Amino acid sequence: MTAPGTPPAPALLHEILDRAAELRPDRPALSQGELTLNYREFATSARRLAGRLRAAGVGRGDRVVAAAPSGPALAVLVYAASRLGAAYTLLHEQVHGAPLLHVLDDCEPRLLITEDAADRAAAGERAIAVLPLSELVEAAFPPPGSGPADPADPADLADPSGEPPASGVLAVDPVSLIYTSGTTALPKAVVSTHQQVLFAARAIQSVLGYRADDVVYCPLPLSFDYGLYQVHLSVLSGAHLWLGLPNEAGPLLLRRLAATGATVLPGVPSATEGLAWLLRRSANKLPALRLLTNTGAALSTETIAALRASLPNLRVQVMYGLTECKRATVMPPDGDLARPGSCGLPLPGTEVLAVDEDGAAVPPGEIGQLVVRGPHVMAGYWRRPELDAERFRRRDGLFPELWTGDYGWLDEDGFVYFSGRRDDLYKENGFRLSATEVEAAAHRVPGVVSAAVLPPEGRRPSVLAVVGRIEAAEALELMREQIEVYKIPRRCVVLDALPLSANGKVDRRRLAVLVAEVAA
Amino acid sequence: MTDRQFIVQALESALSDVLERDIAGLADDVRLFDDLHLDSTTMLELLMALEDTIDLVVDPETLDIEDFASVGTFTDFVLATRGGIAATA
Repeated sequence: MTAPGTPPAPALLHEILDRAAELRPDRPALSQGELTLNYREFATSARRLAGRLRAAGVGRGDRVVAAAPSGPALAVLVYAASRLGAAYTLLHEQVHGAPLLHVLDDCEPRLLITEDAADRAAAGERAIAVLPLSELVEAAFPPPGSGPADPADPADLADPSGEPPASGVLAVDPVSLIYTSGTTALPKAVVSTHQQVLFAARAIQSVLGYRADDVVYCPLPLSFDYGLYQVHLSVLSGAHLWLGLPNEAGPLLLRRLAATGATVLPGVPSATEGLAWLLRRSANKLPALRLLTNTGAALSTETIAALRASLPNLRVQVMYGLTECKRATVMPPDGDLARPGSCGLPLPGTEVLAVDEDGAAVPPGEIGQLVVRGPHVMAGYWRRPELDAERFRRRDGLFPELWTGDYGWLDEDGFVYFSGRRDDLYKENGFRLSATEVEAAAHRVPGVVSAAVLPPEGRRPSVLAVVGRIEAAEALELMREQIEVYKIPRRCVVLDALPLSANGKVDRRRLAVLVAEVAA
Repeated sequence: MTDRQFIVQALESALSDVLERDIAGLADDVRLFDDLHLDSTTMLELLMALEDTIDLVVDPETLDIEDFASVGTFTDFVLATRGGIAATA
């Protein structure tokens, strides 16, 4: 490592932080509220915390679970666990009680970090070591005077904790377990190795191009992998990452973006729609903001157009991905203008196919299951061999590929169009339709802010629910310009808002109740 | 009805819509985040609803987290904001 010349590219996750601390020690790295760490302090804190974790018994091959509010200490924890060869799991602060016990019994961590006394007791019963969040924060950021020496001292950066040098950790060792829901009754963990995470992060960085002078404002918690990867992308590029507090989103988002001088906003549709509303009422047009990314669900054409009208310097990159490979496709900047409805191209060095039931690629324009191949396809699900066999399949018994369970098609140039999940498909009048596809068409109708489709049930035909300044009949009429007539639901209702579930997705059961009320 | 009562009534009606449950009899010390369980998304929806019902026009650059602490602070904020509009109208 001390040999002269260009050092080898980092092979372990924490090495990208060490590299950033060598390259730009005094540049701001991570902020939240009043706290800002430069890259030297970030790396020093990770070494220090690794020492604290080691003292709690954590070592190579162990797992560490944190259920806590998002913040810099959790970003430090990620790199501290990596140093020791342990895998981290970051859970939303609201995960406690039974859902947390499921995680503890499923992945059997060495250490649980939480403020919740009942959860700490439950961990104790399972012989899992516990650390209150406050102690984690203190170990990562000791109060001035109590820490070992001046963080500016290079010797301190080298070894502030007496931690033994990370030895024996391999690029093929696990570094994270990320819990996801969907299709299974209980959440399951996607396991990633250092190699997989670094490939995904570098490939994403190669197409998004974060810069050393960027200020990234992340309104999402680190328990979402979209939020967590903002840390890796910022460390790789040397950008300054702001971790938003929960109450800084919503009405205050515009102010926070202005106050932090944000140049990049990783968005989800609800935050982006809110920002478009705020911008229409603001004299400050956020001249610094240069890049907005979107994932999670499709953004309405109207919202993107409103943002572009307010922010002439803004470039938009829409994306598609799932935890099982982190990110599948990214659209080149503003590529949505030429190819509306597409979620972009596969990451460099990877491919996305649309396949039939036998795994054979279907021709361009034809819908098939989306299959992802490349070094970013993660290791698999933790202790779920039956699910691995369904999703993490091996072509010819050897070559890993991810069967996403999502359906879509490719155009002649390889751009990917997402058309829906299998469970979004429904039949009406003999046609196989995708609720997601119909919703995407409704999103393109001028005046429509958001839309959801209720598939037919019993004698009730499918219903389109829209939110926006538009009449129901007009919405159905304008749909004809966007999609085949047979795909358009016969009935449309205009609502003030779509009912959302706790994780921000449309709650179709409550929507069905609302629609029935409108009909009554 | 005082201006204040009028605002609180509009707030209760807007909150009932946003939260999809009946909200009535709000006292000044009820906290919007902790007691009513608003989050940043529903808070924004609340502003959108009040813009439609009582012509509240917010300036996103002057919004302050303190304004959203409780029913009392939020009512003060709405009164000050609408008062400002009236004075310049």
